[in-house]
Amino acid sequence: MIVLENIALRQGSFELSDLSLDLAAGEYGVLMGRSGCGKTTLLEAICGLRKIESGRIILGDRNVTELPPAERGVGYVPQDRALFPTLIVREQLAFALVLRALGQTEITRRVDELAELLGITDLLDRTPDKLSGGEAQRVALGRALAHRPLVLCLDEPLAALDEELHDEMCRLLERVHRETGVTILHITHSPSEAKRLAGCHFRLANGKVQRDE
Amino acid sequence: MSGPPPSGFRVASDKPFLVGLGVLGGSYLLIIAAMVLADLMFLDYGDRPVLGPEMVKQGRYTGGEATVAVEPGRSYFFQRGENEAGLKLDDQSVTGDGLFQTDGSTVTLLPDQPGQNKPVTASLRPKARVLGIAVTNHVATVTTDVMHGLLWGEFIRVSGTDAPGWDGVREISDTTTNQLSFAVADGTPAATTLVLSKPNPLVQALRSRDIRFSIKLSLVSCTLTTLLSLWVSVPIGYMMSRFEFRGKPVIDTLLDIPIVLPPLVVGLSLLILFRYMPEWLSDAVVYKWPAVVLAQFMVACAFAVRTMRVTFDQIPQRFEQVALTLGCNRRQAFWRVIMPQARGGLLAAGTLAWARALGEFGPILVFAGATRQKTEVLPTSAFLELQAGRTEGMLAVSLIMIAAAVVVFIIARTLGMKRIFA
Repeated sequence: MIVLENIALRQGSFELSDLSLDLAAGEYGVLMGRSGCGKTTLLEAICGLRKIESGRIILGDRNVTELPPAERGVGYVPQDRALFPTLIVREQLAFALVLRALGQTEITRRVDELAELLGITDLLDRTPDKLSGGEAQRVALGRALAHRPLVLCLDEPLAALDEELHDEMCRLLERVHRETGVTILHITHSPSEAKRLAGCHFRLANGKVQRDE
Repeated sequence: MSGPPPSGFRVASDKPFLVGLGVLGGSYLLIIAAMVLADLMFLDYGDRPVLGPEMVKQGRYTGGEATVAVEPGRSYFFQRGENEAGLKLDDQSVTGDGLFQTDGSTVTLLPDQPGQNKPVTASLRPKARVLGIAVTNHVATVTTDVMHGLLWGEFIRVSGTDAPGWDGVREISDTTTNQLSFAVADGTPAATTLVLSKPNPLVQALRSRDIRFSIKLSLVSCTLTTLLSLWVSVPIGYMMSRFEFRGKPVIDTLLDIPIVLPPLVVGLSLLILFRYMPEWLSDAVVYKWPAVVLAQFMVACAFAVRTMRVTFDQIPQRFEQVALTLGCNRRQAFWRVIMPQARGGLLAAGTLAWARALGEFGPILVFAGATRQKTEVLPTSAFLELQAGRTEGMLAVSLIMIAAAVVVFIIARTLGMKRIFA
């Protein structure tokens, strides 16, 4: 569940105020809006990477407004994916698990499970510079899912992919959503993508979030 | 199918641009290479003979030629001056510089332009011969037939002996006008003949205790400076790259001060600063080796900070943000995600700091002094050699510095390569 209550944000001269959004647990929400209207900023605020000036953010059943990003239980896939260049895919997937001091066998089990789900079992020993765009996207998704977050924030995950991959990734996202039951907030420009994936449409315009039915 | 396209539009040739790039870049590269090569080639790597006093009297070529009386059968070292064409001995003429042997009792200097009354500028010196060898209390005293001009503390190569244990480079422990002494090992059999020669300046420098000390101090202080610089520049560079705070432009300017300030002024400022320090501290630092490290650190660290800041600036914040959502705190994100990516920059900063520290001279001279065996680093050695009039010694020290810099760069590059190929 993602609930934003009367959030106010400021970034330089850019300002959003009195924003609210409500996405039920396990739903797939798509947020659309023009370039530069603050979609990414809003996502960063949910992840705790940007301070909000007022309002409340509730993820699951917790008020996370004052919590650091690490304790919010979110998975974040930025637009540029930001795979860690010095780590191989296996280490990227295990990153969040190692931080939680899980045992070696448990980490291996979880990494294999994720690789299976995302179809990247063959890529586990590669470094990010040896991955194609679609493969990198899968790894970034896997890294964000590893610690079983309640909420997955995707920032234009399909933007730089060609037609064929695009379709494949859509199917993958549907599958991930179905199998993990995670609440997803997905930012996109593409109406067709929104139509295909979303259970719930939001539109950010003029500093307000509207829910399209 | 050549010829202008239908529209008649033609773009000018790229050739002048590319040639310009090549010429400008190439000439700079050429100067760099020529500079280092000149140092390497200027130094005479061979041994030199021990020479006696000058035999050519001052004067002018009034009568056309000048005659010098010599001893038949002896070796002489001739060096042409700017007014000489060469030298006539017996029937042949010598035009080049170097050693020659004569059978007659006179040699004649040939002026370049006879009858022009130019001053005599050539040099003719006899090669010193050993007359006697005496050993007392493990000290060999060698008598030469002419003044040898060698000084205490210089090194001499002994060769051509008829007994074992004599050949090698020895440090001269005592001299008079035509005697010199050096230590020989216990039980060395007596020799009756030997030849003396001066080893090349590089050997002289590497054997000298002072320069050995300065090599050691340079290597240790530069390494220490580099470690200190990295230790300080990583947090400062990270802070300046990632955080916005009040007064940041002021701090940014302050960080550049050691770069823009004349190095001598940095040394002077440190010296004055330590007047205000407690006495035990300034006693321990000023004119002692810690002053060397501190003087190097002040300048080298500023360069390391610049490099680290640029390094961190080039790593997008996104990586830390993702790491934070995955469960890192800031410290963990820094060590697990940012530092592994900053390795190349760290290496560059370290290399830069090391090289800066190696070449640091002005601040060290002012703040640490130039005391032999105490605060003498390689640039100080070069300076002291120059002051003593030994250009060759200075060149030898410069070559040692070039070698040290090259070794460090190769190490840094190799480590950098590993990162690329791994």
